Amino acid sequence: MIDPCANLIEVRNLTVGYGGRVVLDRINFQVRRGEVFAILGASGSGKSTLLKHLIGLHQPLAGEVLISGEDLTKAQGAQRLRILRKFGVLYQSSALFGSMTALENVRLPLDEFTSLSADAKDLIALSKLRLVGLESAATQRPADLSGGMQKRAGIARAIVLDPCILFLDEPSAGLDPITSAGLDALIRELAKGLNMTFVMVTHELASIYAVANRAVVLDPRVRGIVAEGPPSYLRDHAAQPWVRQFLKREAA
Amino acid sequence: MPENDAVNPSVRWDVLKAEGAVLLTLHGDLDVASTPGAWDALEKELKGGEISSLEIDASNLTCDSAGLALLYYMYTGRMTPGATVRMSGLSSELQNLSGSFSLADFQALRSHQPRRRSFLEEIGAATASWLRDLREQVEFIGEVAIDLSGSIFHPRRMRWKEVFRVFEVAGVNALPIVSLITWLVGMVIAFESAQPLAQLGAQVFVANLLGLVMSRELGPVMAAIMLAGRSGSAFAAELGTMKVNEELNALQTMGLSPVQFLVVQRVMAGVLLTPVLTMYAMFAGLAGGVPVMLALGFPLRMVLQQVRSAVHYGDLAEGLCKSVVFGLVVSSISCLRGLQTGVGPQAVGESTTRSVVSSILLIILSDAVIASITYTLRQ
Repeated sequence: MIDPCANLIEVRNLTVGYGGRVVLDRINFQVRRGEVFAILGASGSGKSTLLKHLIGLHQPLAGEVLISGEDLTKAQGAQRLRILRKFGVLYQSSALFGSMTALENVRLPLDEFTSLSADAKDLIALSKLRLVGLESAATQRPADLSGGMQKRAGIARAIVLDPCILFLDEPSAGLDPITSAGLDALIRELAKGLNMTFVMVTHELASIYAVANRAVVLDPRVRGIVAEGPPSYLRDHAAQPWVRQFLKREAA
Repeated sequence: MPENDAVNPSVRWDVLKAEGAVLLTLHGDLDVASTPGAWDALEKELKGGEISSLEIDASNLTCDSAGLALLYYMYTGRMTPGATVRMSGLSSELQNLSGSFSLADFQALRSHQPRRRSFLEEIGAATASWLRDLREQVEFIGEVAIDLSGSIFHPRRMRWKEVFRVFEVAGVNALPIVSLITWLVGMVIAFESAQPLAQLGAQVFVANLLGLVMSRELGPVMAAIMLAGRSGSAFAAELGTMKVNEELNALQTMGLSPVQFLVVQRVMAGVLLTPVLTMYAMFAGLAGGVPVMLALGFPLRMVLQQVRSAVHYGDLAEGLCKSVVFGLVVSSISCLRGLQTGVGPQAVGESTTRSVVSSILLIILSDAVIASITYTLRQ
């Protein structure tokens, strides 16, 4: 918590693409500490691709992704591991390991990266499960959990090593509005209580307005960012009419 | 307490003891790296004496979840049983976070015992699942037979393109490995049998033996086992993944039967390709024996003459008949195992294993049945 990681993501001249096709061309933005930052855009605008580059799953064609000042794209070995430890990721399909219980899933990073006793690991994993409201489902397997519960378990696993950043890929995809609102409340709570920084890719306008402080909008036609600012500001004042429409129409 | 400095440079503590009351003052950073050592050291230090009250001062302490777990563990009195514990100086942020720790959850987890089944229950469950599997197999055979005959009488209903694709992948692409293996097996059989036959002066009959073994037994069996390992497992994995991805559900809600749409073409391809693969395996096996015979000093013409005299059309028919049955059995049981796949990635692996095991078992069983039938017919 009091970890002094200068918690900032800085994307510099990032160019990403595959197979000779450039999806995003020299984009720049920063995420400040404690922010809930949303990446918006129509389907096919490269949101998920951008996220995969931010978390180091793909190598960019050019540019840098600095996570508290260290370049993830060029880091190797121990340095890379140290950067990876600074963030957790919630994947769209939750990506829980089906052969383990919810508790074992959450405990896995503790088992692999710490030398704590079994009691301590269970205490910590249980506290994370309680934090997301899943303490009573600790011994259940992912197949027995509902979609919303799986997302919560995925969040618990992502935050078990106390990262300062949490990346969320479409957190409300496939959830009903009430479960989705519950997840938004959880994200707000974590952002406030744990002082974590969130970066989320989402379509769900309700959750954008509910949780995000700032957003960037990607446009496939310019292969980059066309608008940046607080979501409600963009809805009313974005320079591009389609961004205003995009943020209004779905909200209606 | 300077002795802990060497172990955990980032966290230190002072212990003041007076008549059973202990004041523990923590300084520094209790994080995931320093907590394990501090946990052990504190446990050793506190567990020994008679302690009636413990006061923890955390005002100069920063910590993460691991450190909080230690504080919580001490706070709930698990290190000092019977003592009253008080904690002070925890920052409000940490207090928020420590609210998520719960001893009740921990005890619930410890007392949670997965229900064990008794031996009798295990036997009952195994029998029930075996019977269920048998029933599913019978139903499946019926469904495949109906759809297959439907496709024979109405050939337009069959997706022939898919049949030929499977034929190519499972048959044509298997030729190199089938030729290599049967060629080597033929060579080994010829080589091994030549030694005992030499004692009887009957080395020339190695060719007869090889011809009979290859046409009646090893040709079909080797080709079928290759099909089970190479393609049957692929059928099971493919259909299993489709089931996991809900593609099979999509077919069903479109009103298409997965058997009609996916299984029938694979079974048809299997039945068409095994006789061809078997013929090929027979010749490859014989070809493996030829170099051995040549090395033993028999001319090629004589070897072929011996084979021709030993192998009759009946033997060839027996081999091909077996191969058709094997093709049917392997491709259908593999598809069935694929369709029976449960939930998750593990289930796909399980059904792949089950497809290969069931295929090989059924190959050997049906081989024995056909061999005894043909033996009776020959009498």
